[in-house]
Amino acid sequence: MVDFARVQKELQECSRDIERSGIKVVPKSDANLACLLGTIPGPIGTPYEGGTFQIDISLPDAYPFEPPKMQFTTKVWHPNISSQSGAICLDILKDQWSPALTLKTALLSVQALLSAPQPDDPQDAVVAQQYLRDYQTFVGTARYWTESFAKSSSIGIDEKVKRLVEMGFPEGRARSALETVGGDENLALETLCSG
Amino acid sequence: MENHHISSESEEEEFSDRFVCCMCLELLYKPIVLSCGHVSCFWCVHRSMSGEKQSHCPLCRHPYNHFPTICQLLHCLLLNSYPVAYKKRELQILEEEKKTGYFSPQLDVQAWSSQANQDSNIPGDSVSKELSASMQETVFDSYNLNNAIAVSRPADGGDYEGMENVTEQVKYPLLSQQQSGSPKQISVADVLCAACKQLLFRPVVLNCGHVYCESCIVKQDEEKIRCQVCQSFHPARYPKVCLDLQNFLIEQFPKELAHRRDGVQRNHVNPTTCEGKSSKEAEKSSSGSYHRGVGCDYCGMYPIIGDRYRCKDCVEKIGFDLCNDCYNTSSKLPGRFNQQHTAEHQFELIRSDIIRGSVKDNE
Repeated sequence: MVDFARVQKELQECSRDIERSGIKVVPKSDANLACLLGTIPGPIGTPYEGGTFQIDISLPDAYPFEPPKMQFTTKVWHPNISSQSGAICLDILKDQWSPALTLKTALLSVQALLSAPQPDDPQDAVVAQQYLRDYQTFVGTARYWTESFAKSSSIGIDEKVKRLVEMGFPEGRARSALETVGGDENLALETLCSG
Repeated sequence: MENHHISSESEEEEFSDRFVCCMCLELLYKPIVLSCGHVSCFWCVHRSMSGEKQSHCPLCRHPYNHFPTICQLLHCLLLNSYPVAYKKRELQILEEEKKTGYFSPQLDVQAWSSQANQDSNIPGDSVSKELSASMQETVFDSYNLNNAIAVSRPADGGDYEGMENVTEQVKYPLLSQQQSGSPKQISVADVLCAACKQLLFRPVVLNCGHVYCESCIVKQDEEKIRCQVCQSFHPARYPKVCLDLQNFLIEQFPKELAHRRDGVQRNHVNPTTCEGKSSKEAEKSSSGSYHRGVGCDYCGMYPIIGDRYRCKDCVEKIGFDLCNDCYNTSSKLPGRFNQQHTAEHQFELIRSDIIRGSVKDNE
């Protein structure tokens, strides 16, 4: 049984501090405090700057004596985060978890991971290889992904895809067109028409 | 969740952040001080320990192998400082314990707080009356619960008589105290070193829960630290100062402590320089077979490494076990939980074939 009294306390403390940390945790529904949604701002001075990243959090029964399960729902280009599934490779979310950590401090660590990639202990081998071999390209791609998926203009991307699909374009093409132009619906439409 | 809401919003006394448990984020209840000086609740420490390998302090990751005993001095300090909040916690934990069937040990507060009680003959206000009424109920419930355990157990001889004693002894010390809900003035007499009997200066807490000045510990020149009160060994080298307690004392007794500081500095060398060599002990004990999730009820080793002796007569769900060393010494300490273990109980030897080979926590 999750210690909901503690989770409640954590949520209060986190919302009190939101101005300073920028880190937000909210329950997905009021009925179940074991499923939460975390939000972290991309660290300044990194390719993730300006982005807002959403993280899906689910608490195991033994929380806080077992680590929370965290996974990016926003797509991120980072050596320690799967570009496919959003899975995070971070020791404190695994064997180095301590019950004195909280959702907020764990999200702070995830944010710190964005600033300091560990390509020697990769979650996504492709990204890690790029990071090590061609750092400039890595930075470009990471920044591009931030623009495409982690900015407010890209938040409603599903809506935009839907509208393009309604116009008669196949979903896959509509989505990739939107991704290429950084989420601008009109530019995407142009691309699709010319392509 | 509802309950939590009520408890956090209600107009009960405020307590210092330093007495908030780092794990449950509530007021510490039945506090345990680890060798590194960090404090948490009894159950929080127990739950955070690994039943398979070395455990680490949740705050500083300092390694340890023994589940320490509750620090009674701190327990009484909290009870006297925040009587309403602390009793609320007792009720809350009691509810949880009834759900799990595992009970924490009963502490005899009377002996500790008799002094402080002398000036508290004021009848309780309505809040504390209400509280104590509901507490009486809880005591009654746990009485029934204990009876249920006794009955459900097939009658093996003298057991039943033992269980009568159990129910006799399930007196919740905090509840039986008919005191007002107002905090008591903490006096120097409440926070004395077990050795020098003076106000604690840089307090350290041994595995057995007894509190000493840091300088009073180091004076002993035995290989292992032995508690002068209960004679049990402290399984690690030098415990570190419990800063939460130290800072509380500085707040409460600034003048007295300044006086103590002068005295201690004249008489002793600063002992903190000895701490570097403290990790040897941990290494030694982390090899060999172990018993997953089973701890020794005398020394607190958890999990038990090597041979295990299981009591065949203790009826409590938690069981009663000893490690090889403790089985071979005639220590008369009570169990770490609420067991009613007696000297007449029989043990059986249990060997484990779980070898801790690949566990790489030796470094």
